[in-house]
Amino acid sequence: MTIGILGKKLGMTQIFKEDGEVVPVTVVQAGPCRVLQVKVKDLDELPEEHRKASVNKGKKKGKTERNRRADGYYAVQLGFDERPAKNAKKPTAGHAAKAGVEGGKDFYYVREMRYESKPELETGGQVTVGDLEELKLVDVTGITKGRGWAGTIKRWNFARQPMSHGTKKCHRHMGGTGRTYSTAKGIPKGKKMMGHYGVDRVTIQNLELVAVDKERNLLLIRGAVPGHNQGYLTIRKAIKSR
Amino acid sequence: MNAIRQLELDHMKKDLPDFSIGDTVKVSYKIREGQKERVQVFQGTIISIKGGGIRRTLKVRRIVQGEGVERTFPLHSPKLAEIEVTRSGKVRRSKLYYLRQRVGKGTRVRQDFAKDSRRAQANQAAKKAVQAPAPTSAPEATGADE
Repeated sequence: MTIGILGKKLGMTQIFKEDGEVVPVTVVQAGPCRVLQVKVKDLDELPEEHRKASVNKGKKKGKTERNRRADGYYAVQLGFDERPAKNAKKPTAGHAAKAGVEGGKDFYYVREMRYESKPELETGGQVTVGDLEELKLVDVTGITKGRGWAGTIKRWNFARQPMSHGTKKCHRHMGGTGRTYSTAKGIPKGKKMMGHYGVDRVTIQNLELVAVDKERNLLLIRGAVPGHNQGYLTIRKAIKSR
Repeated sequence: MNAIRQLELDHMKKDLPDFSIGDTVKVSYKIREGQKERVQVFQGTIISIKGGGIRRTLKVRRIVQGEGVERTFPLHSPKLAEIEVTRSGKVRRSKLYYLRQRVGKGTRVRQDFAKDSRRAQANQAAKKAVQAPAPTSAPEATGADE
């Protein structure tokens, strides 16, 4: 049983419920994902043959063996969207080959899912949308659309200044920042100002999973999710749902 | 985009009749009253068709007691039970919003007789198919036209 899946946002549409209610949905192409690695807390949870690593100590001393270090936490590393061998990076392709990916391919999108206890998934296994069928609510993580350098109105929802009544070329300015005198510290750190906006990693929690299309590997999620179309997403079981 | 189009096709109606702007239609729409569900028929002129795919909507206008009434129907909603074209109109624009300014005789739309006779023929042919059913094709014919 997986707690999440990786996917790609395809776009939005709407579907009708049986009673005629319109549901706005985001269509997400999710999986099939390959389990690239299962990370474990302690060494004795690794398979026997993986516990030792051979170390080359130079010409005189030769090869010796030492204990490998465990990862220190439980997680499953998933790979989504295979990258063809001609574009694949060698180190990641080697890593993927260990999980049974053939033909020197690697993945465009690789992410970890953290677990509380040892995951039941095995390296080389598959995660598909069918594994999420019982879920009702999901958290969706993505990278938001870039807005470039944005003013305080767009970035922080500041109010606009009057368009008339004597306002002079200050309609969308941020207004005062306080601290006119009597403090040496200047403007407080973290004061909301203009600057770069967007391209942030954002998680939207508790989105309803409306439908799962196993044939086409699609998830229908109610409402909007972060990012532009074709952007990569991480979909997890909602942590705040009961 | 293609995958979304495919998905929409799954939820769309395939047996909608051929209608266009200016046609007079009878739209049967399911209405919920408490626990009961009944069908309400709204007859009027199509003044606007908007949206693509599953979002397509139909705006129908009629005059009730001297007052213009317009309703917008989502074409692919399960609540929309049936659409029947009763008269084809001949119009030269895609949105008939000018009808809102008209009263009395001015609200009429010129009839497209050629189209109407073609439709009548098609309906008759369909009826014949129902009356003399070939064992395999008959159920399809009824489902498509009724």
